[in-house]
Amino acid sequence: MRYMNLSIREIHDAILKGEVTPLELVKEAIESCKKDDNNSFEYICEKEALERVNKLDPSKKDSLLFGIPVVVKDNYSTKDIPTTGSSNILNNYVPIFSSEVVLRLEKAGAIVVAKSTMDELAMGGTGTTGHLGITYNPWDKSKTHLIGGSSCGSASSVAAGIVPFSIGSDTGDSVRKPASFSALVGFKPSWGRISRFGLFPFATSLDHVAYFTRNVDDSAIVLNVLAGRDDKDFSSSFKPVEDYTARLNEPVKGKKIAVIKEIVESISNVAIKEAFNKNITALKEQGAIVEPVSIDSKLLKAIYPTYILISCAESTSNNANLDGIKFGPREPGESFEEIMTNTRTKGFSRLIKRRFVIGGYSLLRENQDKLFVRAQKCRRLIVNAFNKILENYDAIYCPASPTAAPLISGSSDTLSDEYLIADNYMAFANMGGFPSITLPLGFDGELPFGGNLTGKPFDESGVLSIAKVIENATGLKDLVAKEGK
Amino acid sequence: MEFEAVIGLEIHVEMKTKSKMFSSGPVSYGEDPNTKVNIVDMGFPGVMPVVNKQAVINAIRVSHALHMSIDDTVMFERKNYFYSDLPKGYQITQQFRPIGSNGYLVLNTSQGEKKIGIERLHMEEDTCKQLHSWDFSLLDYNRAGIPLIEIVSRPDIRTGEEAAKYVEKIRSIVSFLDVSDGKMEEGSLRCDVNISLREKGTEKFGTKVEIKNLNSIANIQKAIDFEISRQSIILDFGGVIEQETRRFDEGSKETVLMRVKTDAVDYKYFTEPNIAPIKLSKEFIEEAIKTSPELAEVKLERYKKLGLNDYDSSLLIADKDVSNYFDEASKSGANPKLLANWVIGDVQSILNKEGISIKEFKISPSYLSELVLLIEQGKVSNKQAREMFAKMLENPVSPKKLLEESGTSLISDEETLKAIVKEVVDANEQSVIDYKNGKDRALGFIVGQIMKKTQGKANPGLASKLVLEEINRR
Repeated sequence: MRYMNLSIREIHDAILKGEVTPLELVKEAIESCKKDDNNSFEYICEKEALERVNKLDPSKKDSLLFGIPVVVKDNYSTKDIPTTGSSNILNNYVPIFSSEVVLRLEKAGAIVVAKSTMDELAMGGTGTTGHLGITYNPWDKSKTHLIGGSSCGSASSVAAGIVPFSIGSDTGDSVRKPASFSALVGFKPSWGRISRFGLFPFATSLDHVAYFTRNVDDSAIVLNVLAGRDDKDFSSSFKPVEDYTARLNEPVKGKKIAVIKEIVESISNVAIKEAFNKNITALKEQGAIVEPVSIDSKLLKAIYPTYILISCAESTSNNANLDGIKFGPREPGESFEEIMTNTRTKGFSRLIKRRFVIGGYSLLRENQDKLFVRAQKCRRLIVNAFNKILENYDAIYCPASPTAAPLISGSSDTLSDEYLIADNYMAFANMGGFPSITLPLGFDGELPFGGNLTGKPFDESGVLSIAKVIENATGLKDLVAKEGK
Repeated sequence: MEFEAVIGLEIHVEMKTKSKMFSSGPVSYGEDPNTKVNIVDMGFPGVMPVVNKQAVINAIRVSHALHMSIDDTVMFERKNYFYSDLPKGYQITQQFRPIGSNGYLVLNTSQGEKKIGIERLHMEEDTCKQLHSWDFSLLDYNRAGIPLIEIVSRPDIRTGEEAAKYVEKIRSIVSFLDVSDGKMEEGSLRCDVNISLREKGTEKFGTKVEIKNLNSIANIQKAIDFEISRQSIILDFGGVIEQETRRFDEGSKETVLMRVKTDAVDYKYFTEPNIAPIKLSKEFIEEAIKTSPELAEVKLERYKKLGLNDYDSSLLIADKDVSNYFDEASKSGANPKLLANWVIGDVQSILNKEGISIKEFKISPSYLSELVLLIEQGKVSNKQAREMFAKMLENPVSPKKLLEESGTSLISDEETLKAIVKEVVDANEQSVIDYKNGKDRALGFIVGQIMKKTQGKANPGLASKLVLEEINRR
């Protein structure tokens, strides 16, 4: 009997009934990690996980995550466990402290079984740029389609049924896009809802903790563990947390959902259009008020360049400690400048250096006004436009991507000028700090695609309740790749 | 040609808060290297800054003392540059909105009063301390993250004396406000000088030279005096001043070239995204000011009202801790003048002799005030008090207790003493006659006999008075 392909609640019930023990669960997960052929892992924490599972306090077994294996993206600091951000510049780096997210998971009894691959330092959307190479999509037996990134390994390990949930991070759409390509629920709660202490910063003003599950209920369960103020993170909110499972079965009747016309219209994929329209019809039948809403397409097209400028600028500064003197494998040099230059030249890949150059250039005194400051103003306009819609609607709903997973050979993270609106709009939720969830919508042939639902800041409960209705309408939940749909 | 110096000062003050500017790491000085650090100070990947509230309160208090406008929104920027002493690769500072702006200080100089404008006061974090050897460098993170206040003057200073007075006043302010030790020799107050010369009567600024490595107020004055004469000579001979950074060499008392300045570095400032703008309420700012420790000037006014003269007051406030000791002692209601004499006399001489600060002084303010009260009440003589003071230095016990134990409390009860006086006068009739015949010394003899009889416990003032009364009665 396998358990790792079940939902968190099912596994929890099995533990309570005595059908399975946490140790057996961890062993099952570790075995699957070892057999993984999608390049999902940076490090399998076999020894550490077995030690931890043996130390579990049985009196805490009522916690829903008690004894449940979890995979964590390799940009979360984990004490005594190597953490590289899938970058050569952090090879052999072993943190001396754990991120708040990991501490909360451990407190709830979850067991970290592996650190997952990612696009280098979370900068990328393809899952192909980490120092261990391409991470594959478990739904694609031919290994020709990507899974998306940057949280690629966290997505593939849940999609392949290795663990029931995993932690990622989302700065543009780094959880919500791979969720779409791998039939998962990917949730990025509001900015400030989950502490980011210990998460390697990429672009601080856009970075969010986010995670993958295989159904909406599990997503609420995980949020109950992760949400809440942390004094170590000045940007974490004092807003009281809720029981995020409480409103899951709320009817959608009378709720107002906006569909952005320009985004849907920019999509040509027939399967996606049909599945989306069918889903909208189902929502309407249950009494939801679903209406098309317009946003100036110039503003939508500005989301990607705005995101690139702000994130590259912040990333140059956030990664400045990786200089061979403070952190990173030190390269020789005659002066500290030479050591830093040599270390950074060798340690970062070409794509990362390209982003640093763009970011540094946009921050130069002579360029700041026309690039970085302009991007910040643009961000404000974009957020204002979406805020205006959310004043009148409970949520915004659109397809999460214009296609199912694209071909690996066709992908490039060299900042292509193919600014398709539908391929890059989801970063608006990072700019505004909105809670935003991707969940399965349908299949194009063998490959899945998802829809994305975004709500008002700190209305996680509201977003989850509508997501549950969508999930019920599609019937797409608890999907595991190996077993097909 | 007659030149005028245009001088601006940048002062960095290390705050002595409990924890660092953005971390819970302890603020320390002189501890073993790299023992007072945490992961935030070391810039580990994933750490985040948390603003130190006390540092903000301190910055408000200093801004207020410098007559500045206080920004009610606290914001921080990142200053980005690559340097070995910078843990995160950027420093968190306040570039765009300093907490204090547009203030001034009034100095008393030998040329009269002089008002110096102050452009800005902002908060930031300190870097690592570096120790360079011939083929390696060491980093001490203990200093990394210590809160700093940077105070930038306007170019209103004209002489080395003004600069020294200005720094002395800032030092006094940060020290009395309990913001910093303000010790230049320990680096808790650091000063960079910007100086240029121009022909007297002209408005245009000359080329600016920066002087660093100034470790005392005296050296600031010396460095500026030297630099004025150096630049004057160059200009007099038709030379050109280079834009450069110089340091003061203690040995030669000269400024020497450190580096020629090229274009200013572009620090690529942008808002620190981890710290959302903090709105300070009017109440918060007012409370910070209201609860602020007293400045030297305010204390001086208060001492005047207590009846102390200018000289004594100025001695008391010369050291903030000494004045705090005095304030603490005077809470008991002891006579301020008498108390002040003890503090600036006997106490100070012990401090000087032992080379210690008043914080290390063994006798607590309350014990000293107890001693002074005993004198005032006539329970001990000055001589006795000095003896007790010496004993208390050895063994800091309450003077009251000391007196009880030794049983040497003076007889100040008039009736008791009268009886003794009568007895002694009876026994020394000759002396009474001598006194009446004009031999004043005879009075001293009788009092001496009384002291002998009481083993020195008679209150000498009272005894003299009673003896006189007794003699006059006969």
